[in-house]
Amino acid sequence: MNGWTLTATVALGAGVGATVWGVATGPLRRRVVAQNLSSALACPGLLLLAQGYGRPAYIDLALVLALLGPVGTLVFARLLADDLAEDPPHAWGVTFAVAGYGAVVVLVLCAVTGPGRAMVKLLVIGALLIGGNLVASRALSGGFARSRRG
Amino acid sequence: MDAQTALRGALEVLLWWAGLTVLWLVLISTVDTLEWVVGASAALVGALAARAARRAVGGR
Repeated sequence: MNGWTLTATVALGAGVGATVWGVATGPLRRRVVAQNLSSALACPGLLLLAQGYGRPAYIDLALVLALLGPVGTLVFARLLADDLAEDPPHAWGVTFAVAGYGAVVVLVLCAVTGPGRAMVKLLVIGALLIGGNLVASRALSGGFARSRRG
Repeated sequence: MDAQTALRGALEVLLWWAGLTVLWLVLISTVDTLEWVVGASAALVGALAARAARRAVGGR
């Protein structure tokens, strides 16, 4: 157990635990937001675990999650579009807080890794993670409703 | 298709190809000749698909 794995454990336990609770209870608008945030919280946790165990190959898990998490949210946004239009979620505060947490984790890991291909890979993962989650959050709150034609 | 359209299409595929090849080389662990060949081949397929997808979305 070192600082990386400790941080990852706390983030996964408290953050992902809270999102599991959010997904399982409450109104639909809270459940979809919690589902979106669960991948945004788990991805930095995987990055921290990869650093903590000294296994750079584990970073690929975070890459896959950063790519597929927002895609999964977009599927929910599409399937539940009618229900969400009646009661759209507005959770930008917590969304930006989680995005900021992801940015801090990626930047700290970049500083530790140093310049090179590994750092570019981390930045690509960070861009996918934060950009994907902001786009997915906007889709959930009906931000792309005007582009839904036919 | 006139010459200008063909040139613009070729340029777009070339840009996608370069970008996707760089992405491949960034995401792998060790860079060697085989990875260059495989990466460039996959990136070319991806570049053609990306142009086709962009045209389909753009409605042109």
